[in-house]
Amino acid sequence: MNAKQRVMSVINHEKPDRMPCFGANSTVTYEQMEKVQAFWPEGHEKAEAMAKQAMAAYTVLGFDAVRVPFCQTFEAEALGCKIKPGGTEGIPGIAHPPPYKLDDTPTFPDDFLSRGRIPELLKAVRILKKELGDEVAIVGGIIGPFTIAGSLVDTVPLLKATFKAPDKIRPFLEVGMKAGAALGKALVDAGADIISCEDMTASPDLIAPKTYREFEMEYQRRQFEGICVPRILHICGNVDAIVEYMGKTGAEILSLEPKANVQLAREKCGPRIIMMGGVDTATTLFMKDAETVRMGCEESIAKGIQILAPGCAVAPGTPLENLFAMVEVAKSH
Amino acid sequence: MKTLNDYSKIFRRYDLETEKAGAAKTVSTDPVLQKIAQFVVNGDEEGILPAVQEALKTKSPLDVINGALIAGMNEVSRLWDEGVYFLPQVILSSDAMNVGIAECEKAMGKAMSRKAKVVTHTAEGDIHDIGQVIVNALLNANGFEVINLGADVPVDKVVSAVKEHRPVMVTGTALMTTTMTAFPKIAHQLKLAGIEIPFVCGGGAVSEEYVTSFELGIWGKEASQAPGMAEDALSGDNWQTMRGKWNG
Repeated sequence: MNAKQRVMSVINHEKPDRMPCFGANSTVTYEQMEKVQAFWPEGHEKAEAMAKQAMAAYTVLGFDAVRVPFCQTFEAEALGCKIKPGGTEGIPGIAHPPPYKLDDTPTFPDDFLSRGRIPELLKAVRILKKELGDEVAIVGGIIGPFTIAGSLVDTVPLLKATFKAPDKIRPFLEVGMKAGAALGKALVDAGADIISCEDMTASPDLIAPKTYREFEMEYQRRQFEGICVPRILHICGNVDAIVEYMGKTGAEILSLEPKANVQLAREKCGPRIIMMGGVDTATTLFMKDAETVRMGCEESIAKGIQILAPGCAVAPGTPLENLFAMVEVAKSH
Repeated sequence: MKTLNDYSKIFRRYDLETEKAGAAKTVSTDPVLQKIAQFVVNGDEEGILPAVQEALKTKSPLDVINGALIAGMNEVSRLWDEGVYFLPQVILSSDAMNVGIAECEKAMGKAMSRKAKVVTHTAEGDIHDIGQVIVNALLNANGFEVINLGADVPVDKVVSAVKEHRPVMVTGTALMTTTMTAFPKIAHQLKLAGIEIPFVCGGGAVSEEYVTSFELGIWGKEASQAPGMAEDALSGDNWQTMRGKWNG
């Protein structure tokens, strides 16, 4: 079984030769950049460098899928947000001020897919498809409606509005939904086998579970609706309070941080959903040694994880040995 | 035939045990102060202003601040700790409290006297100033003057703010692993400048092991620890003592 077959067999609820291991989020690190001689900021901006860095997940780490992009700003930039460059060490962020105020009506541009760095992202996927398409699964990343809405009006005003003027957030969620959906479809057309949606701002650490249930769940479902490949939903933090609703968005796979309760997620979501996760990217993968990583992975697998993965985006300073340790554990299951 | 007008008890879902119910307690027996405290609890920054203006006709600004505004915020803090309130509610309540405090300060003709200054910031590159919002609100409610540097703050700016304001404590928040590497740089520069103040770091990505690996660093597990830590710093505890007390 090659890497791609392994990933697809788990998603199809078949038995793989062993557990697959890959990231729902970025797995790029400085050491991998050195190995493949492709660096930031080019990896966020140019298709060739982006594809090279993504490939490192397979060629250097031995992960079963490769993923682009490595930041959370592609949709936001195309919708009019200013980008704050991340330089050689960091990832691009959203600059202030945001393009909209809460009372504005945001628009979804017709030429969305040709704006900002989206053409380079799509080109990177085409390169990956051509180079590795038969052996390894290609994961295309999109951003969830709530997180995009947060970029458009700034997070704090958006959070306040969830209680004060919840109807005002709907037009922004609508645009966020459309943006992620359009990008997702384009990534699939370019060759992505899986779409992974990061929706950081929808975490119960930030919004009330009620807001997820009454607003975001439906927009997320609509964002996923038109995407015809398997879908991963990643929300950071402890998602116990919303995991049931995450399972109702249409996602085949939920990517959970170790803070979240996998057993509870299984109970709430039933047997259809595939659970993905492993070790905490900050406190374990970045800070600790390979042995601690192995123990953390084993613990997560014992709780019911079916795809081994870093819990969230990998810190770029994470040592290679720790990522190798994850693959080692996956190989033994 | 008996008709039913209220369906609320029939269609209520009992399977949402993950969302906790709870209500704010009464904080004052004085109805005027209680009304203001309730505006804080409800996070109503529009409603609170006329209520405070009305109260100031009969009460001293300090009574309104301590007996209603801060008492209300403490109640919000309790509901947050118990998992009843979520972040948006804490932000709204904090804003309402600040509207009230500003009005009281106007009546006093001066800023409310504060125990000491605390400089707070969110690490460079980190757009999530969320944890910091709570830290600010709680420090404010406990009588500290917060020098709020906001989100995405470069190392140099933190250091120069500390030099300028001479706080008893400085805090840093980071939600992303990619950004917390700014903390040891800040600690190093403060040391170089001869400023040995407690530097409390916390947030999603930040671990105890990481923060205690550099000098001045004290790991903040929860935002709710911030007022207690600031009190310790104010009483003269140095960073070593505070680390011993609050960390492993």
